[in-house]
Amino acid sequence: MIGLPHYLVVGSILFGIGAFGTLTRRNAIAVLLSVELMLNAANLNFLAFWRFLTPAAMEPHVFVLIGLTVAAAEAAIGLAIVLNVYREYGTVNLDQIAELRG
Amino acid sequence: MTAHLGTIAFVSLTALTILPAIMVVSTRNLVHAGFWMLPCLIGVAGFYALLEAHFFVVVQILIYIGAILVLIMFALMLTRDVMDPKERQTNAMGVWAGVICGLGLLASAHMLFRHPWVGVTSHPGDAHAQTVALGKALVTRYALPFEAASVLLLAALIAAIVIAKSMRPPAASVGCDGEVSGG
Repeated sequence: MIGLPHYLVVGSILFGIGAFGTLTRRNAIAVLLSVELMLNAANLNFLAFWRFLTPAAMEPHVFVLIGLTVAAAEAAIGLAIVLNVYREYGTVNLDQIAELRG
Repeated sequence: MTAHLGTIAFVSLTALTILPAIMVVSTRNLVHAGFWMLPCLIGVAGFYALLEAHFFVVVQILIYIGAILVLIMFALMLTRDVMDPKERQTNAMGVWAGVICGLGLLASAHMLFRHPWVGVTSHPGDAHAQTVALGKALVTRYALPFEAASVLLLAALIAAIVIAKSMRPPAASVGCDGEVSGG
């Protein structure tokens, strides 16, 4: 029978894949995609805890809704910054944007 | 029989979520990576359906797939001329990142299965009751977080417009206060 640990393990696998992508991708937009994977994993964990531990509580739903809002805001700001970097430097590869490197 | 169906649905949703997620972080063609995100997000929406969080199935598809993924695809296609699919898309940290993430995964899976979770067997309400309760909670007890999220979203959208339109004219420099000087 599928229980809470199974959902949590799927969530942590998704989070691990997202963390791996965030650490290894060179392209800034691909890094944003990986961050979205991690946010999805967090939301999945929230709803799994809600379903199996506190099905009557409202707090997890509010948390997930605000998490979605933060994800949307992060994507909008991040992509605006990436497009500006692209216009300024002609690249979106994070290892080539190294002007601050000492 | 129902338990078997639930297990089959869970396993297939896991495959639908995890395999595209691996493709998202590993494929060299980044437009393909954006498209691989689609089945992954649909799989997560399926998990929400399995968890009986009906409202969030709709929200996941509307906001993640309809808004965020489309936005990311636009950005990928706008910057497409600088990304070569034959070029290496990962940095030199691949091995270390894999080791760290793998160890973290093993440790968390180990702890998750050892912990004695005290689950409850009661089901949440049906879709209508849940959505009504969430809507009422958002305007009564959780009105402040809801308004804070609205202000955050508004600020983010205005900021995105300001950041994205601040194209510097070639002969003029933009000062810190946004005033165009010189030229």
